[in-house]
Amino acid sequence: MANLKEIRSRITSVGSTMQITSAMKMVSAAKLKKAQDAITAMRPYADKLTELLQNLSATLEGDSGSVFAEQREVNKVLIVAITSNRGLCGAFNANVIKETQRVAKEAYAAKEVNVVTIGKKGNDILSKSFPVAFNNNDIFDDLTFDNAAAIAETLMQHYAEGKYDKIVLMYNSFKNAATQIVKTEDFLPISTAQENSGAAMDYIFEPTKVEIVETLIPKSLKTQLYKAIRDSFASEHGARMTAMHKATDNAAELKAELTLTYNKARQAAITSEILEIVGGAEALNG
Amino acid sequence: MYLEIVTPEATLFKGEVTSVAVPGIDGEFQMLNNHAPIVSILGEGKVKIYGDITIEKQYADRFTKGEKDATILAINSGTIEMNDNKVIVLAD
Repeated sequence: MANLKEIRSRITSVGSTMQITSAMKMVSAAKLKKAQDAITAMRPYADKLTELLQNLSATLEGDSGSVFAEQREVNKVLIVAITSNRGLCGAFNANVIKETQRVAKEAYAAKEVNVVTIGKKGNDILSKSFPVAFNNNDIFDDLTFDNAAAIAETLMQHYAEGKYDKIVLMYNSFKNAATQIVKTEDFLPISTAQENSGAAMDYIFEPTKVEIVETLIPKSLKTQLYKAIRDSFASEHGARMTAMHKATDNAAELKAELTLTYNKARQAAITSEILEIVGGAEALNG
Repeated sequence: MYLEIVTPEATLFKGEVTSVAVPGIDGEFQMLNNHAPIVSILGEGKVKIYGDITIEKQYADRFTKGEKDATILAINSGTIEMNDNKVIVLAD
């Protein structure tokens, strides 16, 4: 039977760990709520932009001629891996890292693969196996559209200059607080879906259709990246909340087990003490 | 007519207005009731909203007051769509 003092100090330490994990769970829950609200807030903009762009490309005769729609033979691939800056969020970062490595090995086996890492955790691991084009950890401190747009602009420039022939995004998409799904999304070149919505509206276009499409494409790319980062951010808090919830549960279970062992040990000690006293008294009487 | 100003971060304004002037890339233009359906892109400048409107408190610091009771929002670029007396400004 383990010694009483040892068990007692373990109970205390498990108890304080439990306090920390449950506090972290609360914090993540609050941040998750905020992150989800931000996703909801951007939806009207994203939807309207997509709708406009689709309407326009559908009615456009021939190619838009945009450099971002240009399909090239794929030799150099850039994977944008979005992870988090902090750990303690279960398999959140590991999932993105593993998927990035798998895609690089399987889908783009014979190609040159570079990565852009957004988030420190992904950068720590991926920089060991791939050349890193650039890294950005600061975005999560101030997650605004403008900051995301700046990254998107750099990516667009890389593509326009022909440094890469394909750019894909890899991130945890937010399904609900407990479930995140790793998503691989094509960023560039853009796919101009020739969906004929049929009802081509009779709009005046000022200046011309082509010019409008050319301004809308970069906007929609920026929105796509912003959405991916936002999604990943909400997923991070969801994952952390779930992980911390499990940790708190485990700690409670461990604490109950330890308390039981402690009480058993205490009882055994008392019993043996009584036996000793009784034995001593018997010896005196005898 | 109905006006909606949407940014990637929030819907700044929605409601009925008398008219709105926007900074088109080739110069400012104004949209009144029953304007023909139009899609256009906007440059850097001011969106001027005319009419008796109320701005939600949390976004009030984004807007300023101008002459003739115009409510002004400064934008860097944007897109405007008008159809069926409904104007949507995507500003960023």
